[in-house]
Formats: sequence, structure tokens, C-alpha cells
Amino acid sequence: MNVTLLIDAIIFGNLLVLLSIGLTLTYITLKIPNFAHGDFATIGIYVAYYFLVFHKISPYITLPIAFLVSGTIALLSYLLVFRPLNNRGISIVGLMVASIAIEVALRSTLHIYADSLTNVYKVISRGFIFRDFGIRISRTMYIPGLLIVSTALTFTLIITLYILLTKTKFGIAMRAAIENPDLAEVLGVDVNKVYAVSWFLAGGLAGLAGALVPFRMPANPEIGWMLLLRVFSSSILGGLSSIYGAMLGGYIVGFAEVIGIQVLSNPPFNLSTAYRPAIPFAILIATLLLMPEGLASKIKLEKIAAKIRGVKKQ
Amino acid sequence: MILGITDPIRFAIDISAFFSIYLMLSISLNLEYGYTGISNFGKVLFFAGGAFTAGALATRTIMNLYSSQIGNYGPYCTANVIYATEASKILANNPTLAITMFVGLLILGGIIGGVLGYLASYPAIRLKESYLGITLLASGELLRIIARNYDPLICGSLGVSVPDIFAWLPVGVKEVVQVGVMLAIAFITWYFVEKLVRSPFGRLIRAIRDNEVAAEAFGKNVVKIRMQVLVIGSAIAGMAGVLYAFYTKSIHADDFMPLKTFIVWVMVILGGAGNNVGAALGALIYVLTERLIMQYKYMISAPFDVNYLSYIIFGIVLILILLYRPQGILPEKPSKTISFEKVIKKIKQE
Repeated sequence: MNVTLLIDAIIFGNLLVLLSIGLTLTYITLKIPNFAHGDFATIGIYVAYYFLVFHKISPYITLPIAFLVSGTIALLSYLLVFRPLNNRGISIVGLMVASIAIEVALRSTLHIYADSLTNVYKVISRGFIFRDFGIRISRTMYIPGLLIVSTALTFTLIITLYILLTKTKFGIAMRAAIENPDLAEVLGVDVNKVYAVSWFLAGGLAGLAGALVPFRMPANPEIGWMLLLRVFSSSILGGLSSIYGAMLGGYIVGFAEVIGIQVLSNPPFNLSTAYRPAIPFAILIATLLLMPEGLASKIKLEKIAAKIRGVKKQ
Repeated sequence: MILGITDPIRFAIDISAFFSIYLMLSISLNLEYGYTGISNFGKVLFFAGGAFTAGALATRTIMNLYSSQIGNYGPYCTANVIYATEASKILANNPTLAITMFVGLLILGGIIGGVLGYLASYPAIRLKESYLGITLLASGELLRIIARNYDPLICGSLGVSVPDIFAWLPVGVKEVVQVGVMLAIAFITWYFVEKLVRSPFGRLIRAIRDNEVAAEAFGKNVVKIRMQVLVIGSAIAGMAGVLYAFYTKSIHADDFMPLKTFIVWVMVILGGAGNNVGAALGALIYVLTERLIMQYKYMISAPFDVNYLSYIIFGIVLILILLYRPQGILPEKPSKTISFEKVIKKIKQE
């Protein structure tokens, strides 16, 4: 197989995994798909861009700041909107509408920020890309820095999350609160705190993924929203409520999209690459029709972990 | 000139036209969400379905029927503006054709909307609300992406012109007639939905919304009824799309962003879910606000597009309503029943 294509697929898979884990973390708290999740990623992009343009700091170094800013915005959206709404006993559809409202507000804010960058500071604010470093191994082999960074980041975070959820007291409390909020509360777990931490982590992971996006594709305020469809597709494929399922789903959708469009855009199909979003959509529909509970219901947790380790070795 | 509006009649016509389109959309969403509790986050899909039907077929139909009267200006897509103008000229001399085509496309748009409603909701209608919401939203985006890249539909990113279907009326009269027809269709729809929700079917859908399990226990086929509601709502949205195409006379794929869906949700939740007067009020408030912003935005000097500011405000308003007045401006009212006196009278007569 073409090496560049494989590298593309791994990178795209890494980004989708980071995003889908975050989406799943918020889904398991309030049982709503957070439509604003893509915009947390876009916030990460513009945080990285701000430091690159005004302070000349590489986006790789400012990753923790992107994590913190996006995480804080996600936390605020939980504390100011979702928690009060949930406490008032609003329906799931009401919560989803609220998340769309946050999405529209955040995206418009980012547009305003981008417009201001262009008009006030005379800086390009749409369609920019980040310059990456890379290692040339041979004439045909070129390893982009993003491959190393995103893979290392994704696996460090997966392992950290695994240790957090299974080995620490807080993680066990977190799983209990997610599994059965009422029972956990009776046993003295602060469910609100657990949910707040979930939202912060989710936003932070999205911010990290976002800060890496412009290394691969031209960024604009809409890009998070465009990625959201893929994120939904991978999360639903993974089962929407399983973090490990989300990891698997992220890689499957990432690989299917990158390799699939390569196959479809060449003979005998000759489709335009603009139809790329149709691939995650097809996966979404197929999942809903064939196994709406997602992969997590079909495969035992240990087997998924084993599969993820398999992907890691590539 | 009143308040800086150069042409008040034109302004009123514009507001009425958009009000009738948004009224149809908000009333259909109210039927789906307000009365049945369906999370239709793909309203724009069905609206676009209707608009694309009119956009794709109007000029082409006339070109096929009157191919001898229309010259050859080159490929359809690159010259579709000229072809649409030629088609308008033919329609100007042929009122019967114009009316037949208008009614025909309106019905076809409704059918396409309904079929899209069935297809798009099929994978997820049995699942939780969140899955249905995601699927419909994604389907809407997919249709937009296809329309933007697949030229035979609406000429891809170029967009397509729609002929003036009321060209047979004199200038000055035709705009008023067109808006009159649009308002009439919108109010007929409103009346239809109002009658529907007051019928036994209306009680059934409210029962499904309030307690799905209970409705199922009484032997009601919940999935089938939700599907029926979605198909009816989508057909209404499809017809609204046809009216939109004939009013704006030009269709671009990127006019059908998911933001349109959000706007319709704002109308329904602002006005009052489960109350058709509320949905109409929400549509009116939104249209007035939007048109006034468009009118006065040039007076505000900001280093960014003022529209974004209005979206932020709509988002915040929506969240505040959900928080502090979830029932909307006009809350849902209990079903209308015959007054107590009338019942007593009736009993006494017997």
C-alpha cells in the first residue's frame, strides 16, 4: 500500500479518535450528542494560531494551552447551560437544541474573531495551514512530524485515560457516576464534579485535536462543524457510550475515509473528492441499520483493548 | 422613505413572503417536535428537497416543451440565467402553463419532501431521539454536498435560476399576487395542521410525546405514527422549498446550511412548542428581526459581519428561553372542548 496514504489515514484516525473520545465522554454524562463538540476543536485551532501569529510559538508547544482553553469553554458550557437545564428536568431534545444553540453561538464568535483578525490586524484568518517539520528517510519515505506527535499524543492520552478510569479513586467514582448517577450519589460520589471533569476533559481533547488539524487541512471557523459528522459517525460506530468503542470507531472511520476516497476518486469510479463526507455518512447509516448499539456491544471490552493495541503496532 | 426604508411596499412584500415560507417550516416543526416530540434536526433537508425540485425542473420543463422557441445559448448550466429569462418570456404569454406548472411543482415538491422524510428517518426512527437527530442532520448536509458537486441537479456551485412563474401578470401586480398566493398556502397549511392536532390523531401524537410506553401499551404503533408525522412535516417543508425557489428565483446549494434548521427551532421554541399560534408568532418575530437587521446592518460599523452577531444573540436567546421559559411565549393550551353550557343544553334537549 502507498505509504503516504497510510500515514494520512493514521493521522486522520488519530484526530478522529481524540475527538470521538471527547464526544463519548460528554454523551455518557447527559446522554446527549453534543453538537458543539466540533467547535471546541475549532477553538483549539484559533488558540494555536494566535500564539503562532502573535508570539511565533510553534503549535506543538502551545498544545497544553489549546487543551486548557477548549476545556474551559466546554466546562463553562456545562456549568452555565447543560447543568442548569438538566436540573430543571428538560427533555433530551431540549438539551440537544441547547447544544445546537451553543454551537451556532461559538461558531459565530469564531467567525467574528476571524473577521477581526483580518480587518484589524491584517492577518490571514481563513484557509491557513501550519508548517510541519518532518524526517526524510529515503526518497519515497517522508515521515511528517504530525504523524509522530499525533500518534504519541493519542496513545499517551488513551493510556492516561485508561489509568485514570481504572486505577485511581476518582476514575472509579467517575465510572460509577456514569453507570448509575443516583446510586453513586448515595455512596458519596459528587456526581456534579465528575460530570464537570468529563466535560473539561472532552473539551480539552477536542482542543488538542483541533490544534493539530491545520497541519493537514486549511483551517476556517467552519472546520470543526465539518469534522463533527465524522466524529458522530465514529462514536456511533463505537457504540456512543463506550470510550474504547470510540477509539476503534475513530480509526475505522479515519481509515475508511482516507483510503475509501482514494479508491473512489480513481478509475473505475472517478468520483469527485468533494464527496468525501459521504463515506462517514454511509458508515453511520450502515451502523444504525445493522447494529445500532455499535461495535462495543458486539465485542467484549478486552477484545477491543487488544484490537487497539494491534492498531498501535502499525 | 420611512425610517430609511426606500420602498416600504417592497419591504412589506418581502417580509410577508419570508413570513409565509418560515410559517410553513415552523408549523411543520411544531407538528413534529411540539406535538410528537420528534427531534428533527434536518428540517433544511426537506426544505432543500422542495427548492431543488423547483430549481432543477422549472426551466428544463419549459425548455423541453418549447425547444423551438428557445435559442441555443450553450450548455444548460453555464447559460441557465439566459434560459430562465427565456422561459419567463414563454410563461408571460401562457398563464395556463404557468399555473399548471406552479401547482404541479408544488405537489411534486411536497411528494419529494415526504419521500426524503421517509428515507432519511428510516435508519433511526426506531432508535433514541439523539440518533434520529444526528441522522437527519447528517442527511441534510449530505444532500447539500451532493447538490454542490453534482451538476445535473442544480448546476453545482454555480446555482440555478428559476423562471418567473407569475410573469403573465403586469409588473406591480404580480408581486402582490405571488405573496398573496404564498400567504394563502401558508395559512391553509396552518389550518390543516391545526385541524390535524385537534383530531383523534392529534391526541394520539401527544400521547406518544408524553408517554411512549403507555401509547404502545394501548396498542398504538408508535414507530409508524412517528414516521407518518415526519412524512407530513417533511412534505410541508418541501412545499415551502418550492415557494422559496419561485420567490427568490435563484437556488444555490449553500443557501441550505444547517443554520436554517436552527432558525426554525428558534421560532418554534421562542413562540411556544405545542401551540400553532406560538409557532406563527415565532416565525413572525424572527422574520421581522432578520429583515430589520438586514435593513440597518450597513449603519453599524464593525470590523466583522453583523449577521454573526445576530446568530450569537439568537443562540443566547434560545438558551435563555429554555432555561427560564421552556414553554415559550405562548404555552401549549389544553385541547379545545365544547363549552360546559353547550353540553348541558344538548343533554336537556335529549
